[in-house]
Amino acid sequence: MAATKNKSLQQFDTDDPNRIQDIGWTFKEVWRRTRGTVVVSINLITFFILWELIVIYGDINPLFLPKASDMFAELWVGLTTRAPEGAVFSGSILDHFLHSFNNLMFGLAIACLIGIPGGLLMGGNKYIESILSPYVWALASLPRIALVPLFILFLGFTTKMQVTIIVISAVFPIMINSWAGVKTTEKSLLAAARVFGANRVQLYVKVVLPYTLPFIISGIQQGIGRGLIGVVIAELFGGSNGLGYLIQRSADTFNTAMTFAVLLLLIVMSLSLINFTRWLEAYVAPWRNVNHI
Amino acid sequence: MTKSDPIIVANDLTIAYELHRERKKLVALQNITLEVDPGEFVVLVGPSGCGKTSFINAISGLVPKASGSVTVRGSEVTGPGPDRAMVFQDYALLPWRTVESNVRMPFEFQNLGLSEAEKNKRVKECLELVDLTGFEKSYPYELSGGMKQRVGIARALITSPDILLADEPFAAIDAMTREAMQAEMERIVMETGQTCVFITHSIDEAILLGDRVIVISYRPGKIKEIVHVNFPRPRMNNSDVKTSKEYAELRDHIWNLVKDEASQTNRGE
Repeated sequence: MAATKNKSLQQFDTDDPNRIQDIGWTFKEVWRRTRGTVVVSINLITFFILWELIVIYGDINPLFLPKASDMFAELWVGLTTRAPEGAVFSGSILDHFLHSFNNLMFGLAIACLIGIPGGLLMGGNKYIESILSPYVWALASLPRIALVPLFILFLGFTTKMQVTIIVISAVFPIMINSWAGVKTTEKSLLAAARVFGANRVQLYVKVVLPYTLPFIISGIQQGIGRGLIGVVIAELFGGSNGLGYLIQRSADTFNTAMTFAVLLLLIVMSLSLINFTRWLEAYVAPWRNVNHI
Repeated sequence: MTKSDPIIVANDLTIAYELHRERKKLVALQNITLEVDPGEFVVLVGPSGCGKTSFINAISGLVPKASGSVTVRGSEVTGPGPDRAMVFQDYALLPWRTVESNVRMPFEFQNLGLSEAEKNKRVKECLELVDLTGFEKSYPYELSGGMKQRVGIARALITSPDILLADEPFAAIDAMTREAMQAEMERIVMETGQTCVFITHSIDEAILLGDRVIVISYRPGKIKEIVHVNFPRPRMNNSDVKTSKEYAELRDHIWNLVKDEASQTNRGE
């Protein structure tokens, strides 16, 4: 018996001082850690310099393609100034950005409040599932842009209309992912919990919900992408504020530098939000990423 | 209850599954009658799909029976209970929980009237028993297969169940670790004096661990033969056992029994 114990201890011995050695900060190690950032920075700087040079020396009409420097200047001015109190129309990017961003966050919050419980219920109860699923799939497969005229008819050119379109865009990926998370919970985990005495509520709270959490987060991630489309569509079609409106307005007034500045801002906003949810997913469910490698 | 009273009694047990798509009923296990004594190590062998898992699931209370009965200590099994615990082939550890928290899981579902201090002590003991001290805060994905199954075993032992059910626990573990795990399984069951019902595909594993080896036939599963194994324990690190003539004969005998059934599996029905 003692022999058995020694043998298995030896097998997993981690106390050997030579087992883990310090690499230190060699050049290779520093490069390995920074090369991603360095390559991306050089890549982007080159891109914008080339853009600048092509516009200057390529005899391109700035109406179609502004200089990169003009775009950045417009972005800087737009983000550092705000419209005076009581102005009818703001030319400030910041004002419109805040409008769009608040709408997006508000819409996403409502989409989560509807989508997460809805998806969990559908996954957990087959009657609710069979009653709701035709409507969910119907609305999820309908291109959301087709609903915009209807919502303008219902709600007018209002913020309420814009938020509604964001909600309708974002809610289905969230709902369907939560639903799928519940449905795909590993059967052996459920069996294990049942063998050790879990009742229905405990199964749901201690196994199904934690298992579904990363699915919910990737649903929110997709919801952000769809929600952003919803933001821009709603503002392009109906509204007098927001980044979508600003794109339209600046293009109409031949301020192409502004149009490009807003597009760049949208890209940055979208990537930041999606990276945030990626980080969140890795943080709450590190086990999932490892399994996928 | 005297010592000779069996702890598990399966009487004319039949288990069937409904295959809704084909509108058919598949009989997995037919007319099984078996008694298991307290402290006995019973190993089930048989071809894939012969209903071994159904039998163990019927004892654990996960699967309803079609007819017949299973009783544990005289009372009919109607669902899972704290007197029975299970070790799974794919470990079935909750990946978002640490080793310690996985091992503690049964306490959250079963009220055994233990204080926090007693529970902590029990967790520590069980982790010690499976040689996982120092890995309390690790997550399952950070562990090797053998270590994951140690967690699975510790979790099964935490409530000191009378009966340990194991469904091919070492099937997914590499051959070298497997031998070490078999030795530990033997040691643990000897130390705790538990009754163990164990499924395996490995005839060597069956002979080395089992007091009795039950050979089950292919669909529908019936008991084909019960083989008694009388080597002294511990057997795992005793090279005399594996090299003995008796061992070779037993191995041959069981292999011949299983071979017929396995060839039926290969023919596809």
